[in-house]
Amino acid sequence: MAKYTPPEQDKALQFVDVGFLILAIFGALWLPLQLGLAGAAKAIDKIENPTWELLGQNATMVSIWEKLGYTPATAHDIIQNRFHYNIDWLTLVLMAAVLIGYYVFLFWASDKEYREVIAEKFGDGK
Amino acid sequence: MSQAAQATATQAAGNGQRISLLRVLGPAHVWALGVGIVLVGEYTGWNFAADKGGALAALITCWFVGILYTSVAMIDSEVTSTVAAAGGQYAQAKHIVGPLMAFNVALFLVFAYTMLEVSDAILARDTIVAFAATEGFHGDSFIALVIVVLAWLNYRGVLMTLNVNFIITAIAYVAIVVLFFSVQPWSQGVVLKLNELVTPQNALPYGWIGVIAAFQFAIWYYLGIEGTTQAAEEVRSPSRALPYGTMAGIITLLIAAALTWYVCASLLPWEYLGITVYPLWDAAKMTGSPFLEFLLFVGTILAAVASANGCINDAARAWFSLGRDRYLPTWFSAVHPKYRTPYRSILFLLPIALAFAFIADINQAITFSILSGVLQYTFMSINIVMFRNKWPLGTIRRGYTHPFHPIPAICLFLLCAITFFAIFLGYGSQLIAMVIFYVIVSIWFHFYRYRYVRRGDQFTMPWPKPKGY
Amino acid sequence: MWFTISYIAWAISAALALWMLYDWFKTDTTYSEDQLTSSREGEIEAVSEKHKV
Repeated sequence: MAKYTPPEQDKALQFVDVGFLILAIFGALWLPLQLGLAGAAKAIDKIENPTWELLGQNATMVSIWEKLGYTPATAHDIIQNRFHYNIDWLTLVLMAAVLIGYYVFLFWASDKEYREVIAEKFGDGK
Repeated sequence: MSQAAQATATQAAGNGQRISLLRVLGPAHVWALGVGIVLVGEYTGWNFAADKGGALAALITCWFVGILYTSVAMIDSEVTSTVAAAGGQYAQAKHIVGPLMAFNVALFLVFAYTMLEVSDAILARDTIVAFAATEGFHGDSFIALVIVVLAWLNYRGVLMTLNVNFIITAIAYVAIVVLFFSVQPWSQGVVLKLNELVTPQNALPYGWIGVIAAFQFAIWYYLGIEGTTQAAEEVRSPSRALPYGTMAGIITLLIAAALTWYVCASLLPWEYLGITVYPLWDAAKMTGSPFLEFLLFVGTILAAVASANGCINDAARAWFSLGRDRYLPTWFSAVHPKYRTPYRSILFLLPIALAFAFIADINQAITFSILSGVLQYTFMSINIVMFRNKWPLGTIRRGYTHPFHPIPAICLFLLCAITFFAIFLGYGSQLIAMVIFYVIVSIWFHFYRYRYVRRGDQFTMPWPKPKGY
Repeated sequence: MWFTISYIAWAISAALALWMLYDWFKTDTTYSEDQLTSSREGEIEAVSEKHKV
C-alpha cells in the first residue's frame, strides 16, 4: 500500500481545532450544569412538625445528630431528601441505544482505520 | 524489530538531540501515583453511595467494585507492561483496537483526571472553609493555590512531583489506619455503634435497587488506580515496576476502603454519611478526640492534594500523547528541555481545571469523572480479549501475564454494565449528555481530524503483525 | 487571620503562574520547535525490549 502522506496543517487551522475541542468540552460539562440536568434526581418527602421519632432516628442516632449540631427541623431536609427510583423505560432504552450505538461506531470506525495502519506498517502481503 | 523504530533508536543514541521524558521512577513512585490519585476517594465521594442505597449498600458495592478494580488492575498490568508508553490506555488502544478508539480513550483519561482534580480542589477548599469557621470567608483562593502550585510542581519535573506524592499519600493513609485503631474496632459499643446505626430497618432503605444504584459512587473508592500506566515512559523498568506498583496499589486501597466504611458507618447515621463532603473527618470529630480530629483534617487536605497532583500528571501525559501522534496539533507534544515534562499540556489544562473548579459543585464533578472512567473500563474489558487474540501468549514478550483469562474481562464487562445502569438511576440525563459529546467528537475525528495523522507511524511497538490482518 | 492567608494564597498562585508563563516564553524562544517536539513513542522499547520469545 502506498504510504499516506498527511497534508500539513495550517497554524490558524490548528487553533480552530483546539478551539473546537475546548468548545465541545465546555458544552458537554457546562451546558448540563446550566440546564439543571446535572446532579441527583432527589425530592423531599415533607413531614410536618418533625421530631426525631417521626424522622425514624433512635437514641444513638439522635445523640450523633445533636453532636453534629442538628435539630429535628434542620435535619429534616437531609433525612427526608430521597431518591425515587422508578425506571422510565423509554429513557432507559434511549440511553442503552445511545451507548451501544456509540461503542459500535467506535469499534467499526477504529477497525477501518486500524487496517490501514497495519497495511502501511507491515506491507500488504499476508 | 521494525526498521523505523531501529532507525529512531540509533538516531536517539547517536546525536543526543532528542528531548524525551525522563526515565527516573521506580515501583514506589508508581504506587504513589496510583494510590495518591485514589485515596481521596476514601476521604470523600464513596459516601455518596450511602446516599443512593444506604450504609449496607455502600459496603456491598465496595466489595463488588473491588472485584471490578482488581480485574482492571490485572488487565492493565498485563497490557501496559507490554505496551509501555506515555498515555497508557491510549497507547494500548492505538495498538490493539485502532486510532478512533485511542482518541476517545485519551479523552476519557483527560476528562476523568481533570474532573477528579477539580473535585479535589473543591474538597480542599470546603474542608479549609469548614475548619476556619469564619464568617464571610469563602476560600476560593485555596482552589487557585492547589491547582497552580501542583501544576508548577508538575512543570518542574516528574521525580520531585511523585516523591512529594509518595510522602503525602503515605501520611494520609496512615491517618486512616490510626483512626481505625484508635476507636477500638475490636469492641463494638465502646466508641463504634454499628448495630445501632445500621439496623435491619435502615440498612437498605431503597431495597436492592438501591444497592445497584450505589455502584455509581462505589467506583469512587478506587477510581484512578489505572492511572499508574501513565508513568510508563518515565519508569526505569516498565515491565517490572508497573505490575508491582499497580498490584500493590489495589491491595492498599482494598484495605483502606474496608477500614473507612467500618469506621464511618459505625459513627455516622447513613443519611448524614450520604451528604457530607468529608466523612472521615466527621467520623473523627465524633470520637471526641481533638488529636484525631486534627489528624483527619490534615489527612483530608493531603489526600486531596496528592490526588490533584497525580491527576495533573496523568491528564497532561494523555494530552501530550495525542499531540505526539498528530491527533491534536503537534504543538502539544513539546517536552521541556530542562525539566523533561510535557509542559505545554500541563499549562493548557490548567485554566480548564480552574474554570470548572469555580463553576461546578463536587458531586457533579465526581459524576463527570466517574462516567469517563466507566466508559474507559468498558473499553478495557474488550481490549484485553482483542489483545490476546491478535497476539496470543508466546508471540510477544509480556512483562506480566494475568491469570484466569477471560474471567476478569467478563467480570469487568458485567460490572461496567451494572454501573451504567446505576448512573442511569438518578443521573441519567448527565450520562446521555456526556455520551453525545463523545459521539460528536468521534465523528469530528473520524471524518475530519484523522487526515492529519500519519498512518503507519502510529504503530510504534516492535511486534509482529497481528493475527488476522 | 484567614483573610490574610487567603491573600497570601492568591499571591503565591499568581507568582507561580507568572513564573510558568515566563519560563514557557523563554523556552519557546530559546529552542527550535523541531527540537522541543522531538519525543517519539516507543524509543526505549526499540532499544531495551526485544519482543522475541
